[in-house]
Amino acid sequence: MILAEGIEKSFGSVRAVRGVSFQFRPGEVVGLLGPNGAGKSTTIRILVGYCPPDRGRVEVNGHDSIRASLAARAGIGYLPDSAPIYPEMRTVDYLRHRAHLFGLRGRRRTEAVERSIERCRLGDARRRRVGELSKGYRQRVGLAAALLHDPPVLILDEPTSGLDPTQIMQVRELVRELAETRTMLISSHILPEVERVCGRVMVMAGGRILADGPPDALVAEHADPALYRLEVAGAPAPGDSPGAIPGVRGLGAAAGAPGRSAWSITGDRGAPDLREALGRWAADRALVVTELTRERTSLERVFHGLIAGVESGDTERRA
Amino acid sequence: MSAALSIASREFLAMFRLPAGWIVTALYLLISGLVFGLVVLDPGGPASLRAFFGVSGWLLLPVVPAVSMRLMSEELRSGTIEPLLTAPVSDWAVALGKYLGGALFLSAMLAPTLVYVGVLFAVADPAPDPGPIVAGYVTLLLTGLLYLAAGLFFSSLTSSQTLAYLGTMFLFLALLAAPAGAAWAPGPVRPALFAVALGPRIADLAKGVIDLSHAVFFLSLSALFVVLSALAIESRRWR
Repeated sequence: MILAEGIEKSFGSVRAVRGVSFQFRPGEVVGLLGPNGAGKSTTIRILVGYCPPDRGRVEVNGHDSIRASLAARAGIGYLPDSAPIYPEMRTVDYLRHRAHLFGLRGRRRTEAVERSIERCRLGDARRRRVGELSKGYRQRVGLAAALLHDPPVLILDEPTSGLDPTQIMQVRELVRELAETRTMLISSHILPEVERVCGRVMVMAGGRILADGPPDALVAEHADPALYRLEVAGAPAPGDSPGAIPGVRGLGAAAGAPGRSAWSITGDRGAPDLREALGRWAADRALVVTELTRERTSLERVFHGLIAGVESGDTERRA
Repeated sequence: MSAALSIASREFLAMFRLPAGWIVTALYLLISGLVFGLVVLDPGGPASLRAFFGVSGWLLLPVVPAVSMRLMSEELRSGTIEPLLTAPVSDWAVALGKYLGGALFLSAMLAPTLVYVGVLFAVADPAPDPGPIVAGYVTLLLTGLLYLAAGLFFSSLTSSQTLAYLGTMFLFLALLAAPAGAAWAPGPVRPALFAVALGPRIADLAKGVIDLSHAVFFLSLSALFVVLSALAIESRRWR
């Protein structure tokens, strides 16, 4: 559906994308994560044919993005960051204009416009000028425009940026609906959004892809050593602590309720779940467990870990 | 071609949806109305619009760049260029569509001046000769279309409408002033200055002399600027 091979793009001395390769299969919903300046938008602009790569190649639905640029573009629905739309146009006129640009004429155009208006719930905004609409509505107009020609590939660059929580929920719902029947690429720096919608995540920073895979697999691969919190009523004998349990790498005293003892425990990387051993340790000493939890590594944590790795690498190189 | 027409119609209608379109039209009609009322309507003088058409190069100079400056610069400034250039439309169709839209608006802006023709026919005795009037309108259109094409090119180069306006205006100010500049220019440059000078060509056409070489000059230069605009749009992708 989409194939990128070794794409590179520089702007002056800034290398925005450095040899990125990937492939999206039909029906795949991919989240592109990364901090600002990671190269996400440039990668997307290369995919949608807005600018060609300096090196490498892109294929969309079997069409080369440079040699068969028009055919490649015809198969993509694209919502650019902040959905730029002519503010003086009415919603319905803008959609008609876009449908025309995508080769839809007559009845097909009318039907496509009505379908998009209905799908993006724009009925009450159809006669309003785009410049008078709220940001959430404008985003939906942009999305409606991207859907007009019923493209097999949908690329959304920061679809919820700058929206309020209600608008984010509405757009997210719509995106989830659309994801059922299309290959999608969603760029975002809002992790929960990507985690909820995408079956595959690519993490990008410094123009490179740092990680690529299903969110669960990424978490498992890059997970921190497990962290536990244990709190018991009373206290063990002096000198005794859960630190001696096999698989425990680190132990620290944690704040607990009055009359209770609490520890923050780090397990060895790859060690089995320590909760059973910790519970048994307390039971053997007749201590009542009042809290025993394991902190799960989130995608967010993995993401920040990967980004921090790149940033510290950059700092070292600069030094 | 169909996509170019869609872009043209959007551009044409946008000018009427924005105050700028109405202000530009009002400004042109004010200046041309003053010329008509103060110079053309001369009791006892010949019934001719020659004076009006003769200064068309100067009359259009402040207004056409105001039409052309937003054609591409506004797309670049607001970011709407991104959805436009990612639609399955060639850069040539974008340039052509923008130009046609501007040309349609220019025609609509010039159309009210036909009232002057009506007034002249109503008050003049004997009635004016229609031939020079038709030739005069051809002059007006050819000059406007050339300004517009160059304006589109400057607008494709920058996201600043002010720069696009100034670039277009100074180019044609230089071409209108070329014959005067030729007096001071060194010998070898003089023929070149006369060759690109607009004033004598406009004056010839305004007299009612439809000289094919003048028409070819205006049309080919306009085409050249439209081609350069398409190339400028295409080159943006590679930057």
